[in-house]
Amino acid sequence: MTVFDLLIQYIKDGRIHLDKSKFTQLATYHDPCNYGRKAQKRFGHGFFQEPRWILDQCMENWVDLYPRQMNQICCGGGGGTLTNGYNPERVFYARKKIDQIKATGAKMLVVPCHSCHGQFNNIKAEYGLEDLEIKYLWELVADCLILS
Amino acid sequence: MISSSEIIDMDQLDHTRCRNWPFLQDFCVTCGMCASSCPASGIDGFDPRMLVRMVSLGLAEEVIDARWPWICTMCGKCENVCPMQIDIADLIRKIRSKREREKVPGILHKGLVAALETGNNLRLPKDDFIFIIEDVAEEVAEEPGFEGFKAPIDKKGANILTTIHNKLVNTHTEDLKHWWKIFHAAKEDWTVTSENWEGTSWGYFTGDDDAMKIMAGRIVEQMEKLEVKTLLWPE
Repeated sequence: MTVFDLLIQYIKDGRIHLDKSKFTQLATYHDPCNYGRKAQKRFGHGFFQEPRWILDQCMENWVDLYPRQMNQICCGGGGGTLTNGYNPERVFYARKKIDQIKATGAKMLVVPCHSCHGQFNNIKAEYGLEDLEIKYLWELVADCLILS
Repeated sequence: MISSSEIIDMDQLDHTRCRNWPFLQDFCVTCGMCASSCPASGIDGFDPRMLVRMVSLGLAEEVIDARWPWICTMCGKCENVCPMQIDIADLIRKIRSKREREKVPGILHKGLVAALETGNNLRLPKDDFIFIIEDVAEEVAEEPGFEGFKAPIDKKGANILTTIHNKLVNTHTEDLKHWWKIFHAAKEDWTVTSENWEGTSWGYFTGDDDAMKIMAGRIVEQMEKLEVKTLLWPE
């Protein structure tokens, strides 16, 4: 089961309730290659709509990057590049992704991938984005939980 | 190392050498769409069009020894625009698979060997893993709204089994808590396993299909042993 399907199930079944007013600063979402473009090619379904629907349940103020989904740009941290030692190449790789993020002016970047999360946290200072908050999609959901 | 200025001896070219590689590389029309779309184009002279042509021309050693396949993240942007539908990302992974294992860069192969030998990339002993899980669970239970929280280990008949990314029991234990809090709020019946909990599978990165099968097979074994029907594999 994917992280998206389970979160959507919990929300739709009313097993968890979310506070949409918790985060008001502008956020954006990054499509990981493997959940999106590569899943579309390998399995005939890219997870594009699911994370966006979950984001809509958590907050009002978020925008997409451009380009996105099948034409998304990789963060540069995938394919094992975080652990293969080619660090200057990996940091440089991210320049186009960073341009996309800067163009939105977002203060928070939501990702559903451990590699993307690690890459963005590792490089953000290098590109002058020290204050950009990098959040797992499920971390966002956990932060918005209304506890009874 | 390859550079575009390097002159290749024409006698080395052999179209038949890699023709059994199933990536359609021989269909390349050298249009350069891949190179135009690739975020890594130009890094260390990397050019996916050139790499595809080198494979088609049989220059296997040159690409296997190159740094290029490891700078590429296999993001698939190139093949998404390729008019001939060449499987460039899979071709890159195939090239990686042919690198001598001891020469796989960084800690990728070392981590994988550790996982195959011990069940996780960190060689973290079972007792230490349990200690970390219980310790972090106690921290969660101290937060308002999560009183009584416990992380069930090896719970037979649970509804969901979830794997753990090794960094979450290493340097990022705080990030264990997000899913746990969601499970708690949803009143989910979930569990983690005390052995073979590793969620990453670095054979994907090194091109090692046999290792990937072993890693996935172990997770299935755990599910069977604990009679859990649903797997959440967030990695």
